[in-house]
Amino acid sequence: MLPALYNLARWLARDPADAEDLVQETFLKALRGFAGFEPGTNFKAWIFRILRNTYLTSRTGLAARRTVALEDELELDGGVYPEGAIERQTPEVNLMRLSDQAAVEAALEQLSAPLLEVILLCDVEEMKYREIATVLEIPIGTVMSRIARARLALRTALQERPGERRGVRV
Amino acid sequence: MSEHLGGATLNLFVDGELGQEEALAVNAHLAECAACTSLTLSQMMLRQATAKAGRRYAVPAGLKERLHARGAEELAGGVTLRKEAEASTQRSLRWSGLGWVAAAVLLLAVGTTMFVERRAAGRAESAALVTEVFDQHVAVLAGSLPPQVVSTDRHTVKPWFQGKIPFSFNLPEGLAEDTALDGANLTYLHDQPVAQLLYHVGRHRVSVFLRERVGDGAGLETSADRAGYHVMSFERGGLEGVAISDVEPARLVGLVKAIEAVQGR
Repeated sequence: MLPALYNLARWLARDPADAEDLVQETFLKALRGFAGFEPGTNFKAWIFRILRNTYLTSRTGLAARRTVALEDELELDGGVYPEGAIERQTPEVNLMRLSDQAAVEAALEQLSAPLLEVILLCDVEEMKYREIATVLEIPIGTVMSRIARARLALRTALQERPGERRGVRV
Repeated sequence: MSEHLGGATLNLFVDGELGQEEALAVNAHLAECAACTSLTLSQMMLRQATAKAGRRYAVPAGLKERLHARGAEELAGGVTLRKEAEASTQRSLRWSGLGWVAAAVLLLAVGTTMFVERRAAGRAESAALVTEVFDQHVAVLAGSLPPQVVSTDRHTVKPWFQGKIPFSFNLPEGLAEDTALDGANLTYLHDQPVAQLLYHVGRHRVSVFLRERVGDGAGLETSADRAGYHVMSFERGGLEGVAISDVEPARLVGLVKAIEAVQGR
């Protein structure tokens, strides 16, 4: 579990020392609160929720919390689900730099914390939407819309511009 | 389903969140819609690329030891507090809490070690499985012998395995137009009996191996490539399935999803 916890902490904190502090605090909180863990329930979701809540009260997490509030307000306004935002007629797969790991990592770095955490829990930790909703303490509908927005942002960031494939700057 | 897949459905499908009927409807649509198939493939590849890039940071050297040291300090601090406590009822409650803390230290320490070891062992097992699956598929392609059971009828192929394998499985109907069952073989993977289902998609041959899921050991990584062949796996209803073919990955996905959707019914 430690590699997964550290990986998420490092992405969210964006700094090695902060990430280590975050994992350490999570570990101690888990020890102190272990009596509150119900055997038979999802241990992974439980400890990731502690990590995430610890992150939210950290220096870098406070800014992210404000972003979450703003995004949820936007959702209430409706229309943020990126339907139709993907071009169907052209095989986009050929136009995305998916094999360029550095480009994908850079695209992930550009995501805001609420989108980054949801896509890491979904794609890297392979959690189900219900588990993600438990970890992040948000409704499943919000999980879905954040995943959609995260993937749209990644697509946009990874879109190959004309001329790039030939090494020509545009 | 005749309309194009919406963004929500696309993500639900790619993330394996759709119910069986919905997944079948999506598969049926993908079989006849090139635009949505291309889009689904690109979304799956994006998910795969994100998963790979997202596993970016390794645990720094010494962090595990530092955590254990902090855990031990926490434990020692707990003992001191408890010595200071006078009330016996309070003491018994706290010692009970201390037991939980000790259990947690043990759990996290053992869990972490096991996680790392199992992940490494899982990768090795996964690579070995890809090799076996590849070898068996190529053997079928190269061999002149017909399948052990030759039939395009799922009601013939499925009963043929009765008494030969220690599990049962289901076969889907209503596959894409140029996709059909050719027959099956009884074979072995990692000394376990498996059903090797033989399909064709257009002119491409596909092998789908179904075996009983044993324990919680790591299976195959979600997908892999070997010498131009694409390998995909799934788990459902106590079964593990592994498919291999040189057909276009999106079309292999369609067949695999259809087979996966009917297991455990």
